[in-house]
Amino acid sequence: MAQDTTVPKLNFEYWLDKAVEWGQATTLESQKDVCLHLPQLQEFLHQLYETIKHLQGSTAAIEQFPLIGQLLGRLCWNPFVIGYDESQKVLMWCLCCLYSSEPQNAVELKANSWVRSLLCHLLCSCKWEGNEVETSTFISALGYTSADYYYHLVKNMVVSLVTELRENQFNGLNIQESVSASHVNAVSIFCVPLITLPDLTPLLETLLLYHGGSSKEILSSEFLEAVNEAVLKKKISLPESAIFSLWLRHLPSLEKATLHLLDRLFSIQLNSLEEVARVIKDSLLPQAASHPAIFRIVNEIFKNALVETEGASEVMTIIQVFTQLFLQAYQNENKQRKFPLKAYFPHHHQPLVRGLVRRPFELPTTYWSQHLKHISDMLKALVEDTNISSLTDLFEIWFLVACFGEWLDIAAEQLLKAAVEPDAVLWLLAFYYCPKNENQQRTETMVEAQAVYNNLMMVFSCADLSVKDLEAAVHRITGIEQCCNQRLTTHLLTNFLLFSAGGHKIAQECICHIAEITDTSKEVYYLLIRTAYRFNNSGEENQRTVKLLNELLEKLTSKV
Amino acid sequence: MEVVRGQVEQLPVLLAVSRSALVRDWDSLTLDRALEWTRYFQHLYDRFRARPQLWEALGRRLRRSQPYPLLSFPTLGRCTQLLGLALLENRALPPAACRRLLHNLLPPPSAGTSPAPGFPEVLVRRKAAACLLALSRRPPRRPPVPEPQLQAEAQLLLSRLQEEGQEVGEAAGQVHWLCSVLEQLPQPRAFEVVAAALVLLKQGRGTEQAGDRDREGSSSLDGYQASTAGDECTAGLLFSWLLGNQERFSAFCLYLPYSHLAFLAGHYSQLSRSYLDLLTGWGSHLIYDPLQGRWVKSCIDKAELAWEELRERFICLCQGSTLLKEQTQAALQLLRTQDGDFKVCGLSVWTDLLMEGEAMGHSPGVSQIFGGRSLPFILISGCMPFLSFPIG
Repeated sequence: MAQDTTVPKLNFEYWLDKAVEWGQATTLESQKDVCLHLPQLQEFLHQLYETIKHLQGSTAAIEQFPLIGQLLGRLCWNPFVIGYDESQKVLMWCLCCLYSSEPQNAVELKANSWVRSLLCHLLCSCKWEGNEVETSTFISALGYTSADYYYHLVKNMVVSLVTELRENQFNGLNIQESVSASHVNAVSIFCVPLITLPDLTPLLETLLLYHGGSSKEILSSEFLEAVNEAVLKKKISLPESAIFSLWLRHLPSLEKATLHLLDRLFSIQLNSLEEVARVIKDSLLPQAASHPAIFRIVNEIFKNALVETEGASEVMTIIQVFTQLFLQAYQNENKQRKFPLKAYFPHHHQPLVRGLVRRPFELPTTYWSQHLKHISDMLKALVEDTNISSLTDLFEIWFLVACFGEWLDIAAEQLLKAAVEPDAVLWLLAFYYCPKNENQQRTETMVEAQAVYNNLMMVFSCADLSVKDLEAAVHRITGIEQCCNQRLTTHLLTNFLLFSAGGHKIAQECICHIAEITDTSKEVYYLLIRTAYRFNNSGEENQRTVKLLNELLEKLTSKV
Repeated sequence: MEVVRGQVEQLPVLLAVSRSALVRDWDSLTLDRALEWTRYFQHLYDRFRARPQLWEALGRRLRRSQPYPLLSFPTLGRCTQLLGLALLENRALPPAACRRLLHNLLPPPSAGTSPAPGFPEVLVRRKAAACLLALSRRPPRRPPVPEPQLQAEAQLLLSRLQEEGQEVGEAAGQVHWLCSVLEQLPQPRAFEVVAAALVLLKQGRGTEQAGDRDREGSSSLDGYQASTAGDECTAGLLFSWLLGNQERFSAFCLYLPYSHLAFLAGHYSQLSRSYLDLLTGWGSHLIYDPLQGRWVKSCIDKAELAWEELRERFICLCQGSTLLKEQTQAALQLLRTQDGDFKVCGLSVWTDLLMEGEAMGHSPGVSQIFGGRSLPFILISGCMPFLSFPIG
């Protein structure tokens, strides 16, 4: 714990220079500069406090940091620094460190007096500068303190500013009374340190919803970024309309919010989709996505994430849950304020979109296969149309379908349970797992898939099964190199094990065998989670299936 | 309970000592004990504030031992801050005790929570906020909305008066206390604060009580919320102060902007009556100077109104609410009648004022016919006692 090692780390000179440069932050440039440095300054102050807190009295501290008085003094007179987050607390701790309970010499006496003056300036008087003694004595005579006075004063100022801004919204053409754009910009800068002070929330809300006449953004970017940070870290709570307005007017904030959501989801162990749904809903992004502009940007970001992770099943699952939640929010919207679907999916074939957007629970289960065939036919027509030549277009269509993964899971289920129109439904799955067809990969996949399917259907109703009966299918998964087929077959096989008459007996054995040899356990895991989520929402009557599902999940959780 | 009452009497003593030079002899133990007391009082407040009888009883005890300032039950809820800040400002406090105080007010992270969590930091943040938001201050909005600092002072005054109102004391004592409190401000400021308070009473300031609301739970009791009756009492008290002293009232009316006064007069009948009386007094001191063709003050050195001011004030009053306008015009008409009910200029101040009012309100033709003061008038003898214009 040598003190020397920490000294070089502290950039004392740098911050002292900064403090001198900022002065009391009276010019716009200095104000903006302060705002940019507030978080690092707080960090520094914490480190400074840690360094000097062990020292007794001010002599030692002054020996180590001769100019500490200058630094702390200047910072105490900078309202941006004092107003920010915890900076004032740390500053006051530092000041207390410089106070000696038994002053030994003149320096310490002077330091004591200086510390008390500063603290009085911060806590007691009823004016920032100057000597408004009368107000202070008046307040004392009433039996109140500066705490009470400032509680009311800040509230009044906020109300006054809010009223002024709101009036201006309606005032429009009245130039005399109108608030200029630069004034609003300045107000937004002054608010930056104060964002996490709850008294300011009405003002923040009004600013975020404020639209002046100009097309350029009036609010300062420092303000917008800082508000976004505070919202993402849950340090303040704003009404949803204000948050959506923030994301609509400041693209970097929206991007940050989306990436923040993805980070959160990756960092927690996803055991159930209920949890995923909760986290996603909590981020307010599905609700915000009711604005088509927000939806399209979030969608792009998700798309990129999927590409970067090379189609990882977690990401795909997250995207599918997000889309479901978005649809829920969209359908709950007031009919009059709804945007048409085309606004969200402008470049896609609208009938296909409409088909995919139908939620399964909106249709009777008996109709599902038909609906899937309908989707499959449209898709086939689109994809095999010679106009769709580029890979990008193909990818876009594929991504659209993938977002509505609920239908894909149901497709696999329906193939085994209902077995109506199997070719079309199978084609849909084949497309999902193998969209490209330049070298006839998809066609081959389709052929093999049919073989597997027929194989499985033959033994679907057998009550007594052994692993050997499924050998062919299992072999396809464990043996072949071609990735698409492996995943498709796994999907079919897993569903088979869940829903067939005899599958439950050999399910664990089968799955474990596959998991050992291949690395598809994650795929299976996410498939099972999605199925469980669907069961919870719609209710699967077959208890045995549910039980089996939970057992398999337990088993796999340890492996994933 | 008697014990508690006895203890509560110690609070004023404690606060008084904390502001005096007696703290010179305090050491860190004494300080600890003082803070213990405030914690205890705080605890009492939290326990008893939902029980009106105890509230009243303790409040009465507090007042019994009163020098000044008067304290009340809610003060118990604020005493940590009161004591802490008073001691901090008191330079006589020796270093050891002061260090202890700082340790208590601003506990370092290792020490756990302070008795008033959030207290110093939020105050400092709010101070900074007030400074920053003031940077974006624009010219004051049209009256009668008071500017934020004034409004804050007025809100605290009202809160305190409301607290007083709940613990019934004799009215005379209350007015005396109000006088002494308002004396802490320079007179113009005191006028502004009182005017702002009267405006707030009419506009509604919510049912909150003053004080730092960071402590959770609102301190509103059903019976103690600001009711109309309570507001009337408070207004009554303010008017006792305002109207109790004629000089003060006249200074008040001279100081405040006309429109502001008109607004208040429109909402408070006590004020409109007294104000009209005052204007009558001032108006009756004007005399007509036919050489200049206008009304002038009879005595230059007295604090009287000039004709233009008088006219402006009456115009403002007539621009107020309908009730006020009618009241004003009725008063003017009565005065005109008493004067002899003349309909031409230059004979009675009240006639002229009424004509001005009509000129503003109705046809402009009237002032054209009789317009200005340049028209010389032949005096009709035997009329106005205040026309000291010598008849040849």
